[in-house]
Amino acid sequence: MSTVTVEEISTKERKIIDDKFVIYLAGGLIGLFLIIFMLLPVLNILRLSITQYDEVAHEFIGKLTLNNFANYFSKPAIVQSLYHSLWIAVWSMLITTVLAFFFAYGLTRTTIKWKKALYYIAMTPLIAPSLLQAMALISLFGSNGLITAGLFNVEWNIYGPLGIIISEVLYCFPHAMVILYTTLSAVDSRLDEAAASLGASGVTTFFKVTIPTARYGIFSAAALVFNLAITDFGNPIIIGRGYRVLSTEIYLQVIGMQRFDLGTTIAVVLLVPSVIAFLLNYYFTKKSHSMISGQAKPQLPPSRPLKKWSFTIYTWMIAVILLSVVVVIVVKSFVRVWMYNWTLTFSHYQFKIPGGVGVLWTSLWISVVVGFLGATLTIVNGYVIEKKKPFFAQPLYLFSVIPAAIPGLVMGLGYILIFNTKFLNFDNIFYGRAAIVIINVVVCNFTLGTLSSITNMKNIDKSMDEAATSLGADTTRTFLQVIFPLSRVSFMSNLIYYFMRSMVTISAVIFLVSPNVHLAAISVINLEKDGQEGPSAAMATLIILVVVVVLGIISLLFRKKGFKLAAENQV
Amino acid sequence: MKKRLLFLVPVFLLLFPMFLLAGGKQEAGGGEVVLYTAFEEDETADYLQLVKKELPDLNVKWVRYSTGEVAAKLLAEKENPQADLVWGTAVTALARLKDLFEPYKPAGYDKLPAQFKDPKGYWTAVDMYVAAFAVNKDRIAKKGIDMPKSWTDLTKPEYKNEVIMPNPASSGTGYLQVSSILLWKGIKEGKEDGWEFLKKLHKNIVEYTNSGSAPAKIASKGEVAVGCSFGYRVAKQIAAGYPVAMVFPAEGSGYELEANSLIKGAKHKAAAKKFLDWAISKSAMEAYSKYKIMVTMPGIKSKSEIPLPDPKDVKLFPMDFDYTSKHKTEIVEKWRSLFQDKTKPE
Repeated sequence: MSTVTVEEISTKERKIIDDKFVIYLAGGLIGLFLIIFMLLPVLNILRLSITQYDEVAHEFIGKLTLNNFANYFSKPAIVQSLYHSLWIAVWSMLITTVLAFFFAYGLTRTTIKWKKALYYIAMTPLIAPSLLQAMALISLFGSNGLITAGLFNVEWNIYGPLGIIISEVLYCFPHAMVILYTTLSAVDSRLDEAAASLGASGVTTFFKVTIPTARYGIFSAAALVFNLAITDFGNPIIIGRGYRVLSTEIYLQVIGMQRFDLGTTIAVVLLVPSVIAFLLNYYFTKKSHSMISGQAKPQLPPSRPLKKWSFTIYTWMIAVILLSVVVVIVVKSFVRVWMYNWTLTFSHYQFKIPGGVGVLWTSLWISVVVGFLGATLTIVNGYVIEKKKPFFAQPLYLFSVIPAAIPGLVMGLGYILIFNTKFLNFDNIFYGRAAIVIINVVVCNFTLGTLSSITNMKNIDKSMDEAATSLGADTTRTFLQVIFPLSRVSFMSNLIYYFMRSMVTISAVIFLVSPNVHLAAISVINLEKDGQEGPSAAMATLIILVVVVVLGIISLLFRKKGFKLAAENQV
Repeated sequence: MKKRLLFLVPVFLLLFPMFLLAGGKQEAGGGEVVLYTAFEEDETADYLQLVKKELPDLNVKWVRYSTGEVAAKLLAEKENPQADLVWGTAVTALARLKDLFEPYKPAGYDKLPAQFKDPKGYWTAVDMYVAAFAVNKDRIAKKGIDMPKSWTDLTKPEYKNEVIMPNPASSGTGYLQVSSILLWKGIKEGKEDGWEFLKKLHKNIVEYTNSGSAPAKIASKGEVAVGCSFGYRVAKQIAAGYPVAMVFPAEGSGYELEANSLIKGAKHKAAAKKFLDWAISKSAMEAYSKYKIMVTMPGIKSKSEIPLPDPKDVKLFPMDFDYTSKHKTEIVEKWRSLFQDKTKPE
């Protein structure tokens, strides 16, 4: 006779229901969160872009219309900003991908020295707001720049499309480099060796083997750079000088002109290329991952001297350029008047701006909250999607990857347009407060966080989950005592990623700062736009300092605990 | 069961109380007041030091925008205003937005001359600022061009790509410069000459900036020869050690009043009124006078540490604020269709 009593069966069933309930609740809440804070603002922008606008009263009036788009395409200067954006993005994409490819090649396929240092230097653009590049270029190559006016005394200057493209290349470099680095170190390099031993020359091997095997990584890096360059706001507004691109146009129309109709319409126009670039990037990343071999990496044979030296020179040239961006800004923050008075001073560090130096603390605590909230949500999300697969796993996954396709500026505009209305202002505790900034940054960076945590979950063997369950642990316990401890590294990587994004982002939050919340990165751009270069450089220096110190503390703490952080996963 | 719910702890803990936390924080400060200002950031920081001393229980939160940005912000938020008052913002911008304001006559309103206040109390002006050029002496010497004396000089071919000016759509300074040129060329009599003049000027302009102080700063740095800005900012750049000269246009300098208004539906109305009372008090006016060519309270002279010309010595262009505020939308729209929406001249 069975020893299982009726009561035991019902407990077991109840447990299963409870487990399901917990998963439904967790997944459902994340889904709801994404619907409210990602889908609604974006859909609202789409709706407003086809809503009639009263230009005198500056408000939308109910009727649906296509006038806004007709209006948009009838203004040559604004339509031109679309061509400008595409032009900038295409050139930035081509140059960055090529430069980053050879850099990554040097790090993975040659035996040059100091690879680790080169890798970290290549990452420096990630720790500063995306206008640092433009600021440094102007200081060196502006009408009164150190090199143009100081050294050569020439009239030429860097403002306009050339300046934007160079800034974007410098800003996007690490993003492309990381993808190519991963691709090149994952693709089996023994294919190269095989080709070489069959008699192929170095150049033939490179073009017939190396490039084709890495092609999906190259395409995915290119698509990502295109997306970053077309959506960037900080660099073009500082160095563009009259050369208008879509992102700056949205800002000028909304903030300068109160034209929310044109703002939303241009936002929709910007959505098209950025969504396409995202889809391509996504497709190629998947393809690229399928080519990664699980084989152990063979030892690299020593590179020939010519190859070794040319790659040493090449990689260090790029490293010096990337470093000099930071150095110029730090120096500038201590110089009384750039180009006119080179005496050193601390006076730029006395900030006469709303919030004073306190903006740095606001940015810091907001970024810490963003880090924990983002890392927690994405790890739970990854667990639900990858391990538990409830019936709504597919739509949840879809919602989780959409944010990467939405430019930060568009999301920010969506937020101010929807969260200060009578229905969705959450009793005034959201709009104009820190919460709107925190949630915006979490949502804008949700994709990478979720994808990396799904990858992490894939690496945790299914048997772990099963073993825990058969030992009687329920979902909650399995997650807390088995899955989470195994995901510590992934959790920390996501936390760091979120923290850094939150410290330096401009485009996502520029519409969201308010008398209650002043952010450091936005202060940099406001000071710079206002012509106060010294204080602006000083604030940028402080942001870099805070990020470096926090990263240093985290890595020290972790080394103590006995495991290293995978730097490659941070990006 | 308890343990099972632990799974949700991070989600609940972080998501929902955060709203309460963020909301609760602002309720704490009883005497909070939120304001938008178009005063410069450095002067605002100084005035607010004084506010801290004289109104210690008031917790002032502020943002500095250019004039047009203040207007954009107010319009965007009219369903649910975030700020309580506007401080130091161009009258021509405020006068157009009357339905966003609540009339209020602050204590001491009667002491101000009639031309410096709205009869119903929609706005009360505190100071006047005057258009001026910042001319980089190094740069004109290097380029071999003469010191400009007037707007007319700036239209000459040798100033090509050497002039920078604020955008009248976003900057109060920009609007007073453009409107004074239009008035001078007889726009009130229906003449188009002003627009023709601006087209000539446009050929020499490098860029239209968002704020009125930026041209002075950019010219100071030697990026262009002439920055069309306003008196105090130019004086300040000279004091900071830049090789800059201050020039008031010979045709007469346009000028503008900066005023305060109470926002309709302000969430901290009592505190806002307290602030507005202080904002036209004698000690406030004394504070402004350190930065302004002229304040609106009779008997207080400019006390700028940086030498500013006596307003009597500056040829002021006779402005017509009734006209310029009433026609602002029209003028700015036309300006945009001519200059903003067109590509840069080559």
